[in-house]
Amino acid sequence: MARFPLSEPVFLVLLSLAEEPRHGYSILKDVESMSGGRVQLSTGTLYGALQRLLDQEWIERIEEDAAPRDRRTYRLTSLGRKNLQMEITRMRHLTKLAGLRIAGKEA
Amino acid sequence: MRRLYQGLLRLYPAAYRQEFGEEMQRVFLQAQAECSIAPMLKRARFCARELVGLFSGAVHAQVRLLFGADDWLRLRRFNMRPEFRFPRSTVFLMCVILTGVVLAIHKAKTVAAVSEGLRLETVAIWHPVVWLCPFGVVLVIVGAVWGILFALRRTGMHRLDRTQAWPGQK
Repeated sequence: MARFPLSEPVFLVLLSLAEEPRHGYSILKDVESMSGGRVQLSTGTLYGALQRLLDQEWIERIEEDAAPRDRRTYRLTSLGRKNLQMEITRMRHLTKLAGLRIAGKEA
Repeated sequence: MRRLYQGLLRLYPAAYRQEFGEEMQRVFLQAQAECSIAPMLKRARFCARELVGLFSGAVHAQVRLLFGADDWLRLRRFNMRPEFRFPRSTVFLMCVILTGVVLAIHKAKTVAAVSEGLRLETVAIWHPVVWLCPFGVVLVIVGAVWGILFALRRTGMHRLDRTQAWPGQK
């Protein structure tokens, strides 16, 4: 069941997977890079988020026969992409509203 | 650090370890290798972050296993199992009612003692421990109920609800 707003780590994990399928370490580094080093996930936090997202079917594992068990790749599902889009729309609306309010105050 | 990490991984539920354990270790080793050339402070921060993250992740995973996925954070209700769900306010109301009953009994005894001509000083003065007793009893009862539900869950009975008959099977 979707719960909005998403936490920042979860949002960044989804955003990372929106670009391309990634494995755990790649997600970790991408999240750090996207946030300019501000969000540094621990492995415990990352896999906790991945487990929840797998349970909710927002992401899925890509089953590769050649891939070792300790290096699995994750990708966004259509449900995950839809929910990410909803969250982005919500944030865009808030940003627009905030801009209008601040502009109105300054005028 | 690696051994400590492996030790903390044991705090996770077995199913979780089986699913993610090797992968987590691999990612951790990769991150540790990258961090090994970093300054001391950064390495210390990395270790602290990993240990705290792993410990809190283990607690989350255990709680999720116990209370069911995602519902445990919704503190409006106790969600041990749907059939045992009751509002959180129930505990508070039970305490209030119990306190009211105890106070009423105390008042009645005082009134009875006064009406029998006894001096107020002779009426037993309530010790604070006596006041705490009802709450203690309530806590014990709640604990016992929780324990029974926990034990039922550990037996795996809840999994029976999820079993499905094969198509064509009645």
